[in-house]
Amino acid sequence: MPLLKCEHVSKRFGGMVAVDDVSFEIMSGELMAIVGPNGAGKTTMFNLINGVFLPDEGHIWFAGVDVTRFPSYKRAHLGMGRTFQIPRPFASATVQENIAIGAMFGAAGGELNVEEAMEVADEYIDLIGLKAHRNKPAGGLTPIEKKLVEIARALAMKPRLLLMDEAMAGMNPKDIDQMVTFIRHIRDVEGIAVVAMVEHIMRAVAGLAERVMVMHQGAKLVDEPTREALNDPRVIEVYLGRQAEEFNAKG
Amino acid sequence: MFFEQLSGNLVQGLILGSVYGMATMGLSLIFGVLQVVNVGHGAFIMVGAFTALILFQSLGVPPILAIPVALLIGMCLGMIFYYGAVKPLVSPSGAGIRKVGRRQLGKAAGVFVAVMIAMRILSGVLDLNIAFSIFIAIILMYAFLVYVYGGRRQEKGPELATLLVTFSLGVILEEVVKQIFTSEARGYNWDLGKLDLGFTVLPFTKILASGGSLTVAVLLYLWFNKTRAGMAMRSVVEDSVGARVCGVNVDWQYALSFSLGIGLTVTSGVLLTMFIPVGINPYMGGGYTLKAFVIAVLGGLASPYGAFFGGVVFGLLENGSYTLLAALPGGEPFALTRFFSFVMLLVILLIRPTGLLRRKG
Amino acid sequence: MRGSGKYLPIVPVLAAYALLLLYGLAAPGKWQLVAQLAFYCALGQAFNLFMGMTGYVDFGYVAFLGVGTYGMAVTISSLSDGGLGLGIILIGFLAAAVFSTILAMAVGAVALRLRGAYFAIATIGVNEGFRYLIEGARIWNGADGIIFSRHLKTALGRKMAMTVSTFWADIFVFGVAVLAAVLTLYYLRNKVGYALLALREDEDAAKVMGIDVTRYKIIAFITSAALAGLLGASGWALKLTYVYPPDVFEIHYTVEAIIIVLLGGAGTLMGPIAGGLIYGVSKYFLAITLPGFQLLIFAPIIIAIIVIFPEGLVGILKGKVHGTSLEKFVI
Ligand SMILES: Nc1ncnc2c1ncn2[C@@H]1O[C@H](COP(=O)(O)OP(=O)(O)OP(=O)(O)O)[C@@H](O)[C@H]1O
Ligand SMILES: [Mg+2]
Repeated sequence: MPLLKCEHVSKRFGGMVAVDDVSFEIMSGELMAIVGPNGAGKTTMFNLINGVFLPDEGHIWFAGVDVTRFPSYKRAHLGMGRTFQIPRPFASATVQENIAIGAMFGAAGGELNVEEAMEVADEYIDLIGLKAHRNKPAGGLTPIEKKLVEIARALAMKPRLLLMDEAMAGMNPKDIDQMVTFIRHIRDVEGIAVVAMVEHIMRAVAGLAERVMVMHQGAKLVDEPTREALNDPRVIEVYLGRQAEEFNAKG
Repeated sequence: MFFEQLSGNLVQGLILGSVYGMATMGLSLIFGVLQVVNVGHGAFIMVGAFTALILFQSLGVPPILAIPVALLIGMCLGMIFYYGAVKPLVSPSGAGIRKVGRRQLGKAAGVFVAVMIAMRILSGVLDLNIAFSIFIAIILMYAFLVYVYGGRRQEKGPELATLLVTFSLGVILEEVVKQIFTSEARGYNWDLGKLDLGFTVLPFTKILASGGSLTVAVLLYLWFNKTRAGMAMRSVVEDSVGARVCGVNVDWQYALSFSLGIGLTVTSGVLLTMFIPVGINPYMGGGYTLKAFVIAVLGGLASPYGAFFGGVVFGLLENGSYTLLAALPGGEPFALTRFFSFVMLLVILLIRPTGLLRRKG
Repeated sequence: MRGSGKYLPIVPVLAAYALLLLYGLAAPGKWQLVAQLAFYCALGQAFNLFMGMTGYVDFGYVAFLGVGTYGMAVTISSLSDGGLGLGIILIGFLAAAVFSTILAMAVGAVALRLRGAYFAIATIGVNEGFRYLIEGARIWNGADGIIFSRHLKTALGRKMAMTVSTFWADIFVFGVAVLAAVLTLYYLRNKVGYALLALREDEDAAKVMGIDVTRYKIIAFITSAALAGLLGASGWALKLTYVYPPDVFEIHYTVEAIIIVLLGGAGTLMGPIAGGLIYGVSKYFLAITLPGFQLLIFAPIIIAIIVIFPEGLVGILKGKVHGTSLEKFVI
């Protein structure tokens, strides 16, 4: 049984179709990337999976439950974790508190009290290497550190599926390598399925994802193993076509 | 008999509604552009009412001619309040406060003392109340801190802050007007005769108020759609990032819309007194704030024209409900009508909360 | 923060209230001032529980004090012949809490689904709306209000009635203040507090974290409203022995609550005490020296605080004691 299943999901904003009849599945423990140029509808797709928006059409199943109409917090309880394109840690809370909030209310939630959640948080602080910032408000961190806090917060929720929006945006190649290793480590150790979203097909995708779904203008263009996707003429068309356009626009 | 009553209600409701609509356009304009809800809305209406009253009573200016004066007063107030209190919270380029430390506070305290001394010396000449001196000293001290040490945008979301700030601006206006004119209710009597339609009688002042409101609404429409300045402002409502990219000075558009919104609101105060020329007092605005919110959510909070039509609908409903409630035995129709508008607000928010948020997207 | 130490901050709170009370008992001429200060602290504590903790501002808050006042008034005026003795006051408090809770549920059912500014819009008419319902439909004696000093004497006897309205009413206000502080600290130190912190910072992110934001907002809203009801029942109903609709639905009390919370520091435990004391004392002196000018002076101060010191006094203090041994006590 797939962990997540989307069936003919669509979302419109006014006249614009942001997500257009998309269907796909994710298995437990899979590493998948959704790629597509700016405005392709990736973030909107995440918001639909995650319950920030409800779809206009289509159905979404998660862990065998029809979650199409579920609010996001219920999906979180079923084991969905997420990070945002622009990191959104709770600014006035400390790093430890941020992560503890994930532990307290996420899938593991129910049973943990505040003290236990704080202990769980400490484990993840070690994992992301931010021990020095443990008691600092998250609002004062650098963007990369914020991103790490967000990831740790999502992991502390003990998700079965982790949705990472623009996991590598704004990082230099060294950070990207580290992040790829880190995500693979999460998957291997904790068995979490990870869907990462990346703007461009690049090294990270190749190193990270086993499968790639390419979105273009809201629709699913291809969904195949990474190696094939990288050589798929349609994918090349989307990216090269775009580059050609940009080139023409400049020239 | 029934039809006479009905058509009477319809006409009365329509002309009242057009004034209500105009009185809400400023609120919607400000929300549309800045995403700020002006919780002090009613206080600005009150300022307009006093403008009409004072001009008429002490200078004999007919209220209809008070409109440009009110617009000017309103726009000036709007500019002052925008730059003084709203901009630090909402400005896209940012003008909040850097860290204020002991040194800055020391200097600010110096400003306070200096102003107090100056005001006390002045008070020998001008008979100033000491509370006013304190008020002015606080404001100047504040202005000093904001302008000398201003610089960086605040990190926290501005929503709660803007609500509280506009609310306080309203309180300041009410208190200042109360100090000058006392809280006693006043009225004026401007009689232009009446128009007898057979089924209902309309004083010409009411017709004039309604006509004035329509004119203002039409002018605003033309300004938005036919002038460069108006289109620039509209572009900010539609997409502030896009507008910025296209070279629109978003900061200035914020200031301008806030000022125009307040100008419209103060103007509507003049028109409202032409409709109801009594009960003018510093706290008269509260009821209008509530009505304006009902109207604004009826018509779409971010759209001035929506607000105008919302106003017309609300005028009809209010008039109709007053007549119906008056027929009810054992109730107080006036109080019940006000309860009714509160219930209406909740009901609209209950049935269309998502629809109402549509423009925010 | 682990273990038994987590409730330590209640110590300075209790100390502050105890000192205030002792001062009032020792200097009888100042009892009215002390009672007034306790009222403002309690008002701030109760209001902070919702506004401070969630970041939502309820402009109609005074309505909860108003219906609480009615709860006590209606109880005493209708049950005074029942021979309940002091039990009538207990029932009165119960009624006050129930009335304000019901109103909170009714308002909350609509308002708490709305975000930010829309919430404020939904609440701004609640006090006026309720006042006009009472006056318009002539509920509870309509616009005339309820005068129940006679009933209180019937129920408790002349002497006891007197002591209740001149002394015990104020003690009950202290009680409400302490209760509000205890609940605030309890919330802050438990899951509720973290949920509220998260939703105050970023409601969407909070939901994604698995927080049922509406549920926690309701908890805070109802707690805050019920405390307001108890405060109205003690500080207004029992103290004045009458209730008059335009007075108990007067928006100025909401303004005062906002000032107190902002002065002291929204969302903190001690902020409302600091804010309440400062506001109460300065209002007291302004009322003597410059009657009628309080709001003229306080309104610009609200703006100054919001723009310049959004964290309030206790917020600033928290920053100062960060990393010192006092840290555990200041929240
Ligand atoms: N809340 C919203 N209201 C209206 N339109 C929206 C909203 N969210 C997204 N859109 C539109 O939907 C389209 C898809 O946006 P989305 O953010 O999903 O793209 P994306 O693939 O994540 O792009 P990016 O690489 O820029 O993050 C865009 O045209 C965007 O303008
Ligand atoms: Mg995106």
